[in-house]
Amino acid sequence: MTKPKIAFFDFTSCEGCQLTVVDLLQTHLGLLDLVEIVQFREAMTEKGEDYQIAFIEGSCTRESDEERLYKIREQADLVVALGACAHLGGVNAMKNRWSIENVQTYVYGENGKDNYESYGARPISAVIKVDAAIPGCPIDRFEFLKIVQMVLQGRTPKLPDYPLCVECKLKENGCLNTMGKPCLGPITRAGCNAICPTYGDGCEACRGFAPEANFEYMREILRGHGLSEEDIDARFSMFNHYQLMQMGEDAPLSKPIVEPDAPLPTSTFAAPQEN
Amino acid sequence: MSLYILSKEQLGEFVEKLQAKFRVVGPVRTEYGYAFDDITKPEQLELNYSTTILPPKKYFLPQREVLFEFESETDDKGLRSYEVRPIFQEVEPTVIFGVHTCDMHGITLYDRVFAEGYRDEHYVERRENTYIIGMECLTPCDDASFCKDMGTLSAPQVYDLHMTPMNDHYMVDTGTERGEKLLLDHVYVEMARKEDIQQLGQVLSSKWPRFKMRLKVTRDQTPSLLTLGYKAKLWEELGEKCLACGSCTNVCPTCFCFDVQDEMDINMTDGERSRVWDSCQLREFALVAGGHNFRDTKASRVRHRVMRKGKYIKQVHGITGCVGCGRCERACLVNITIPGTINNLHDEMHPEPEKA
Repeated sequence: MTKPKIAFFDFTSCEGCQLTVVDLLQTHLGLLDLVEIVQFREAMTEKGEDYQIAFIEGSCTRESDEERLYKIREQADLVVALGACAHLGGVNAMKNRWSIENVQTYVYGENGKDNYESYGARPISAVIKVDAAIPGCPIDRFEFLKIVQMVLQGRTPKLPDYPLCVECKLKENGCLNTMGKPCLGPITRAGCNAICPTYGDGCEACRGFAPEANFEYMREILRGHGLSEEDIDARFSMFNHYQLMQMGEDAPLSKPIVEPDAPLPTSTFAAPQEN
Repeated sequence: MSLYILSKEQLGEFVEKLQAKFRVVGPVRTEYGYAFDDITKPEQLELNYSTTILPPKKYFLPQREVLFEFESETDDKGLRSYEVRPIFQEVEPTVIFGVHTCDMHGITLYDRVFAEGYRDEHYVERRENTYIIGMECLTPCDDASFCKDMGTLSAPQVYDLHMTPMNDHYMVDTGTERGEKLLLDHVYVEMARKEDIQQLGQVLSSKWPRFKMRLKVTRDQTPSLLTLGYKAKLWEELGEKCLACGSCTNVCPTCFCFDVQDEMDINMTDGERSRVWDSCQLREFALVAGGHNFRDTKASRVRHRVMRKGKYIKQVHGITGCVGCGRCERACLVNITIPGTINNLHDEMHPEPEKA
């Protein structure tokens, strides 16, 4: 059997998902008996272009990135979105709340919009056809392995379609929502083995919403924690801004998700303004 | 069978002696309450606990259990053959302390499902290697309990030993011969005298008023109420609220549904088949090839669960499918409860006549 050739690509992201793959290879070297990696900037110098499966990390945030995506799609038999940014748009899409000009000025300074290209962040499925997604921020290494195996068997990769609560219960974690900590587990797609709640942090829905997410009652639960409507909106949209935008008027939010001229947050982390 | 007296001071010694030969588990304190877990030091055992998130069913039907391993070979013609090797994960002889009466009723049902008729060898292996030490409940765990309604306030015959807390000792009833041997071989106990037995009788009879009834109908009337209310509006209301998170079934001491999954080894020729807990509250549970879902709406799934608990399981296995432990109520973030559902269904089906 000839080994399928695979390649990794990155767009707007922190590259943490690719790092997870590198990490996986330390313990599961057998993966290299199944596939041949021909391009992986984070792990090798060579750049093969004859790949069959493309793993793409990151969201698309520039029009000029589209060309590169089309090229990958043209070459690859299968395209797999790797991680929350590629799968959902992820945290990058938070900026979509404001007009792109306002964001460019805010981030890059006065002449930002002339010097730096940008547009609304989007998942790669908004640009090209995607065959499978591996959710999470970052991805779960074992889920990655499982999905690679499914792809190699010619099966359609399948993600759990139930909420995270299932995994918390199976591990007998105390429920954070009943212990005074807001947790989005009830509306979030499972598959990470409830890693954040297991260590005491509420889920932030990085894996995307479960297909039957009950936003109305999730909001009710979060109100019970004393959270404001605005805070609840922010939690819902942290990783899923793009998805909520796509829902239009049905978005389970207290106010419109796009406010082109809303005041931009004051943050010490913003880049210094150019003189 | 026989009643013995175990002084509270001797409990630690009993546990320590057992630890030499057995895996000892029981209720321990956690950051959120209590859980059944391994006891490494006798003082960890919290026999005066209220309730746990998961019932002790996890020791008989683990959350994930490997059933068999397989190896495959592909011949010259490309045909694949499999060699299958059943796996009985070695079950260490185990003693479970502190099993409340409701949970013992859950185990009674498990025995009917997994050990009678078709014998599930994996279950039987675990069951036979596990001693159950019951704990009599003298006060309700909390307001979510409705064991009295469900008739589970007395121990069924599944225990090896059953303890009732008295002032300075436990009255220990032996339910099986192996249970009696377990007790006598590991700690010094005295036979209960006539006055001890009288005292036990008083303690047991005086506990009943402490437990409240919560249901507007008896458990014998529940099946017919559910038949009558199959098309009630209530189910739609509950379906709206339900998070479809499956917590109610995962924490239930009588829920036994599991999914069977194959996992390939990284070499892509070998692998294992395991079973994992499944839930009728999840969308995929009744989804079949071709895409049809027999219970596509949350309303139909909530109804199905209550039908199972109050009617279907009794029809099939002869025991009510709910033991009134209240775990599903504690786990539900949107307050869907068995007593609330039964009572609201009763009200919808039997409206109060308007006063003239």
